[in-house]
Formats: sequence, C-alpha cells, structure tokens
Amino acid sequence: MSIIKVENVVKTYTETAVPVHALNGVTLNIEKGEFTAIVGPSGCGKTTLLNILGGLDDATSGSVEVANTDLTELKDSQLIDFRLNNIGFVFQAYNLIPVLTNLENVEFIMLLQKRDKKERLARAMDLMQQMGIADKAKQRPSELSGGQQQRVAVARALASKPQFILADEPTANLDSKATSQLLDMMAKMNKDENATFIFATHDQRVMDKARRVVTLEDGVIVSDVTK
Amino acid sequence: MLLKIAWRNVWRSRGRSLVVMGAMVVGIWALIFGTGFMNGFLVGYMANIINNGVSNIQVHNPEFKKDFEVQYFITDGHKKAEEMRDWPGVKGTTTRMIVNGMIASPKKAAGVQIRGIDIDNEAIVTNLDSIISEGTYFEGVKRNPIVIGSKLAETLKVKLRSKVVLTFNNADGDITAAAFRIVGIVTSSSLNISQRYAFVRQQDLDKILGMNGQVHEIAVITEPLVEEDIIVEKYRAAYNHDLVESWREIAPELAFMQEMYGSMLYVLMGIIMVALVFGIVNTMLMAVLERFRELGMLMAVGMNKIRVFSMVLIETLYLGIVGAPIGLLVGWLTILYYEGAGVDLSNYSEGLESFGYSSILYPYVQSEAYFQIAIAVMVTALIGAIYPAWKAIKLKPVEALHSI
Repeated sequence: MSIIKVENVVKTYTETAVPVHALNGVTLNIEKGEFTAIVGPSGCGKTTLLNILGGLDDATSGSVEVANTDLTELKDSQLIDFRLNNIGFVFQAYNLIPVLTNLENVEFIMLLQKRDKKERLARAMDLMQQMGIADKAKQRPSELSGGQQQRVAVARALASKPQFILADEPTANLDSKATSQLLDMMAKMNKDENATFIFATHDQRVMDKARRVVTLEDGVIVSDVTK
Repeated sequence: MLLKIAWRNVWRSRGRSLVVMGAMVVGIWALIFGTGFMNGFLVGYMANIINNGVSNIQVHNPEFKKDFEVQYFITDGHKKAEEMRDWPGVKGTTTRMIVNGMIASPKKAAGVQIRGIDIDNEAIVTNLDSIISEGTYFEGVKRNPIVIGSKLAETLKVKLRSKVVLTFNNADGDITAAAFRIVGIVTSSSLNISQRYAFVRQQDLDKILGMNGQVHEIAVITEPLVEEDIIVEKYRAAYNHDLVESWREIAPELAFMQEMYGSMLYVLMGIIMVALVFGIVNTMLMAVLERFRELGMLMAVGMNKIRVFSMVLIETLYLGIVGAPIGLLVGWLTILYYEGAGVDLSNYSEGLESFGYSSILYPYVQSEAYFQIAIAVMVTALIGAIYPAWKAIKLKPVEALHSI
C-alpha cells in the first residue's frame, strides 16, 4: 500500500534573479514500512523533495498525496495538524528543545496530540529505552553527544506514531560509530514498529543500510533501486 | 508543558530577562513613588487649604460675598452653627464676623481681612491654635488681643505685645478704629493666614462693629470621608435663604487642581508604560529572532500558530509576573517609609510655601492604585508581546529550519 504518491512534481524557485528548477517532474511511490534513501549530489533536489513530502513546502505543479490526503488541498493550519499526526521529522541539526529534558522532548510531540500524561510518559520512556538513551531521560540535550541527541530526535519523531519519518541528512554531523549506532537503531525501529523511514542523504553508510535507493540528479530521478 | 517551556525560555537569556524585569521594577517603583509624591502634594495642599482655611463648607448671606458689606449677616448664625454641630458627619462649626480694613503699626500699614472669631470653635474647625509659632492663642492680654500671621508681622515690623490699630467701616458705615495688642503670631503655608488675615475675638470686634452678635460666616468641618454635598443639601433644605457652598464651589481652583493631578497621573503612567512597551518589544523580538530555527522546528513538527503565539505571550507575562510584584513591593515599602517620615523639601520651602504647599511632603498611594498599576503593567507587557508573537507565527518553517 503506497503511503506516498508523488506524480510529476515540479518545484521552481522564482524568488531568485534567475528561476531555479529544483524538481523537474518527479514521480515516486513509497510503501508502508520502507527504509528508503533519496540520494544525489548537493543541489539535486533531495531536501526540496523531502520538504514537499513533509508539507513544509508546496510544489509548483504536480500532485502530492500523502496518507491518502492531497497536500496541495490543505490550508496552513490543516497542514500543521496533518504533520503532527502523520509525519515524523529528524533534522540534521537535531533541533531539540534545549530548555526541556530529553524525556520531555520526546513527550512534547504527544502533548501536542493531546494524549494523556500516563500514555505519554510510558511511550516516551519505551522509545528512549529502545533507542538506548533511557538513562539520559532527565538530562538536557546539551548534556548529550551528537549521536545521543540524534537518537532523542528519532525517538521524538516516532513518538507521535507517524505514517512515516522524514530524515534530512540525519548523520551529517555524526562520526562513524554514532552513525552506525543510529542507523542500527532506526533499522530496528523500522522492523519492530514497522516505521517507514525516508532519508535525504549523501552518506554512503545510509545508502548501504537503505533497502531502496532513489537517486536524484538535477531534479530528476535517474535511478530507483530496491535491494 | 507550554507554561514550562515559556518559563524556562525566560531564563535562557538570564541577563536580558533580568534587565527587562529590572526596567519593570524601576518603572513601577517610579510610577508608585510619582503617584505618592503627587498625591502627597495634592492631599497636603488641599488639607492645608480646607482644614486651615476654607473648611469643607461655608455659609454666608448671599449678598455678603458680592462686596463683603458688613450689614449682610446670616440671620441667627450662632443658632444655625450650633444646630449643625449635632448633624451626622459634622466634626465642628464656627462662626465669624468678617470685615475688610487696614492694620497699622507705628512704622507700616497694610490691608487686611479682620476676622472676629469664636476662639474655641475656631480651634476645632481650623486648628488655628496649633499653628501659633510665637506667643499664645488669645491668652495673656485681656483687652483687645489680636493674632496675626508671621508675614504680616514682618511687613508691619511688629512683634509680640506690639500695638496695632485696626481701621474699618462699622455697621452704620462710619469709619472706626481700635487698638489691639499682638498676643500671638501664626506661621502657615497659607498666604491668607500668614499675610492677609488678622484674627480677633468675636466679642471684641462686635463691640466696635456694632453687629449685636450677628455673624457673616459659618464654617463647617466634616468628619473624614464624609461627602460634603449631603450636608450642603441638608442645609439648603432647612435654610434656603442662605448661601451654602462646599469647598469645591468656594475654591474651584482646588477642584480643578484635583482633576488636573488625576490627569497628570495618567500622563505619567502613559509615559512609563510606553517606555516599557518598547523595552518589551525589543527584548521579545530578540528572543523570537534568536530562536527562529527552533520556532520553525516547533511549527514543522505540529505546534500550531495559536500555541506559538501563546508561548511568546506567556513568556512576556512571566517577565511581568516576576517584575511587577518586586516593583510593587519596592514601591510600597518606599511609600510606607516616607508616609511616616515625610519627604523633607525644606530646601525649597520658601518657594513651596508661597504656593501654599507644606515643606514636608507625605507621599500617599491608595491601595487600589497598586492594583491598577499591576493590571496596567500586565496589559502593557501583553501589548508589547503582540508584535514579536505575530512575527513568530508569520515565519515559514521551511525557511526557519534552514536559517543559520
């Protein structure tokens, strides 16, 4: 079952002096439970595609259907709610809330979903245990290493039980060991929680771990390989 | 958790938050002290004028006030004054004979208003006995004692026991004169008392003036917080031929001054609040711009605009919740201290006294003013937060996430 259906998506940035065509007719289907990497050189349109899939940016033309919802039809406020309940985000710079503890960071997203406290705490602790950072629950993000912070970010992304997780260069700031640990844990979550992961990356280690690799060049998919 | 995040955000930039809170503390303190200072001026001035001068209510023959002709007396003035003493809310009444004339010493002469007073009741109504700075209150001289103000004594170049001659028209219109001996000198910030009035015993003046015990003025002092208009209306209902006026009519400049001080307080409050708004806008805008990426992330993961807007407002409110009570406390303590000790303005006493002000000022702030100031600060803080909060919700998550 496809949870993402992208058809002939074009994205052109016109704010620049010369229009920039970031995506030139991308068509892509992603099934539930995939562990997919979108790869390609810098400026090929990876992040733009991810932003469009995540409802953070809109396509100039083409259709974007995510979890049976046409994103182009949603207003800003509806998009925020849609993202809250359907999409998990992992960012390159972790983007945790520095004034909250790690546990509160994971819990926070469920609070926005108005889940009750007991459920929030139980799920947050469970996810932190699965990500191997339960002992860091009461600490603040600034007290953790980059790899540990990214694991908190993954736990946060999973907390809302999203349809899929978009991870934009999640390993870009991590060393080999932290990258390897993080990818193992994501793969485990992909298996255990049937969580769908879509990465935008140019990290070979992510490509090696991914079961499907979609390659973009100049805003066009040039290869789509399922291992 | 939104409250928790907002609270912790306040302390992210501790120095900056403390500066804004400090500005709030100073602003509120200045407002309270300014209010207290102005109230002290006003209350002191008005109390001085009312309690030592015009009294709360005065009664005259309607014709008397036109040109102070002695024949226009109040019918049965003594009886009416005595009757009013039993009215609820009336602290005291006194009667006066009033005639304009001249006072002359061997060296100088001056125009005065000669006031024939009932010395016992005058002491209750105007506390005249309490402001005697030299000599006594009509004691020690049996025949024609007189009390005059210190400035008048200076003008006439006289001192205690000096003889002065009062000249005026009697009830028949004839010019008459009599010698009086100075028994007391009063010092007051009221120019009328210190320079323009000469006080003599009613019975002494009556003998010369030929009034047969009739009086020109009844002065009434009320209990504190009593509304004069009720007593004025009661008197009007009982004796509709007399002219009865409250201090607001007798001294309209006082009522105007009271109103003007009220307006000045609002202006002062407005100036401080505007300064506070700019401080808050600046701080909160910095806080929002600094957290551009974080706010973008929050909106990206599903925090709606109402929550983002509320978070910025709550952060600002917290600044006020911490700053305002400290400011109120410091202001209250300052007023508490100076309410008892008074602010000594004796360096400027000459200038102040020429305007009828006392040289010791007792600041005073009504309890509801603290509440009003606290509300005003909170409202100001929220107004100051609106623009930064609006700026926060206008950001685009995709741009914010990629900002440096």
